[in-house]
Amino acid sequence: MNDAPRTPGESATGPLLRPAVVFLRALRAGLARGVSPLEALASAGAALPGEARGAIEAAISRLEGDYAEDEWGFDEGFADAVFPLLELMYERWWRVRAIGVGNVPAHGRALLVANHAGVLPWDATMIATAIMREHPLPRPTRFLVLRWAFELPWLSIAVRRLGGVVASPYNAVRLLEEEELVAVFPEGARGIGKRWSERYRLQRFGRGGFVEIALRTGAPIVPVAVVGSEEIYPKIADARLLARLIGAPYFPITPTFPALGPLGAIPLPSRWRIEFGEPIETAGYGPDSAEDRRLVLELAERVRSDIQNRLLTGVFERGSAFI
Amino acid sequence: MAGRRVLVTGVSGYLGSEIARSLAADPEIEHVVGLDERPPRERLRDVEFIEADIRGGELGELLPRAGVDTVIHNKIVRRPGPRLSPRAAHEINVIGTLELLAACERAAGVAAIVIRGSAGIYGAEPDAPQFFPEELARLYPLRTRFQRDVGEIENLFDAFARRNREVVCTMLRYQPAIGPSLDTQITQYLSPPLVPTPLGFDPRIQLVHEYDAVGATLAAVRRPVRGAVNVAGPGTIGLSRLVRRAGRSALPVPAVLFDTATATARRLGGPRVSPDLRRLLRYGRAVDTTRLTEEVGFRPRFSTPDAVEDWVRAKGGRRLVSAVGELLPGR
Repeated sequence: MNDAPRTPGESATGPLLRPAVVFLRALRAGLARGVSPLEALASAGAALPGEARGAIEAAISRLEGDYAEDEWGFDEGFADAVFPLLELMYERWWRVRAIGVGNVPAHGRALLVANHAGVLPWDATMIATAIMREHPLPRPTRFLVLRWAFELPWLSIAVRRLGGVVASPYNAVRLLEEEELVAVFPEGARGIGKRWSERYRLQRFGRGGFVEIALRTGAPIVPVAVVGSEEIYPKIADARLLARLIGAPYFPITPTFPALGPLGAIPLPSRWRIEFGEPIETAGYGPDSAEDRRLVLELAERVRSDIQNRLLTGVFERGSAFI
Repeated sequence: MAGRRVLVTGVSGYLGSEIARSLAADPEIEHVVGLDERPPRERLRDVEFIEADIRGGELGELLPRAGVDTVIHNKIVRRPGPRLSPRAAHEINVIGTLELLAACERAAGVAAIVIRGSAGIYGAEPDAPQFFPEELARLYPLRTRFQRDVGEIENLFDAFARRNREVVCTMLRYQPAIGPSLDTQITQYLSPPLVPTPLGFDPRIQLVHEYDAVGATLAAVRRPVRGAVNVAGPGTIGLSRLVRRAGRSALPVPAVLFDTATATARRLGGPRVSPDLRRLLRYGRAVDTTRLTEEVGFRPRFSTPDAVEDWVRAKGGRRLVSAVGELLPGR
């Protein structure tokens, strides 16, 4: 399922990275033919000028600000440029297995509801990558992110350009009304701040705000169970004082962070499995039913237990976490 | 609607002049009165100019004598300038509005008041909704002096609207304006070759073109609606893209040093960066303009990116990067 072939230089490779990819491919082809490394390098370099010019031109138009962002700040050029990196993480690092991607509606509004784990929103990017790679009609995913991501330098830029918006009901409703695909993580900070011993145990789903949003906009809810994200930053302790100092909801201490400094931010290569469940239609209830507390809590519980069940079978099916 | 008589405060500024000029040219408007502390740079045709300080008590007499039915309050200072202390700006904003509303209450015949206020009341916050609807004005505490001024103006106006139900009170919440004729904090901020930006932040900025800034007020005079209305060019532009489009280079400064850096730049003759702008440059802000298009019936001609393009075109700035690009072979 994962090794859908991608031809070299296809649009999925960003314009800025393409020359490097072409260059390395030519180099590898040369080496495979058995010529000396220097000769291979020279012939690979011959392919470079045209590509390099394309890259430089792309860089120039970027530097002139000649690129498009939508009103939410989603920057397709940027997303394209980092897509190869995400693909690499998807394919080689976490060896993601995606199941039931076809359950994601190909067009129109839809709300993906997923479990949340891992300190940085890697799970959101992997869900988006799974839909871009494996869905018959790939589409970008907008994801709702906790506010503190927007207070941190660089992370705030990357999240915005990749299609992340602040987790707020106003944003979710507006995005769905614009017929977008929106991913939410109702566990919120409770989810990503879980200890190692609590992994794959879903936290409380807030007050079911995501169900209210789905009911108000009539968007179908697609439960998503992500297995693997719990192991990328095994949190063994939480430095509360430090967390308060930098304004984050928690300050995780993992086997590699902060002991290895920024290197500790590199996630561990666990094996992932992302399962998309059958959509739960909400349009039939009508927008006014968003006020119906019982219905909201009932649906929220239905989604929660659906994800929890898929998580338990998913962990079992995945087998070993790392190898 | 025919034969309306309109008063415009702050008529000597660029937008005030343009609003008065357009109103005077409108056949449905019978008479236009302009009010300010100093006369406009060039005389406005068919506009009766009254030289008065809005903070002074004269308004109480002047307004009934002018016999207007519509008041456009445009005298709201968005930034203290070189000759205007923050204290004086506060007085013009709050005391000026208070005096004007008191005069309107006493003068019989005022049927509509339009205030050209500010979207600054929403603030700039990391967890803000991506598009503020009008009802979320008090989601966050008012943090800066200017925000508190705007908050006080809105309080005064709300109280006035409650007491005088027959008067249609429209609060236009403007995003910062940009345009070839304007000299605002944003255009000044983008004027030096190196523009300081907060390191690691690239917020969404939303602006309104000067053409639409005038048009929105005129539309609100033509079709008055009650309550607050956001005014902005649809869409947003990332700060780094804005700086690049302006042909400038960004100088990223760590957030903790940003205040010091801009203060130093100011001392070296650079532009002033107010606390409001500082927050805006870090977190950005955008508003929902549904009410403007649907209820006031005004569709801005320039989206935010278009407004920036138009300003850049008119400015005709030097583009260093394109000069390098032209040296490339085969381009």
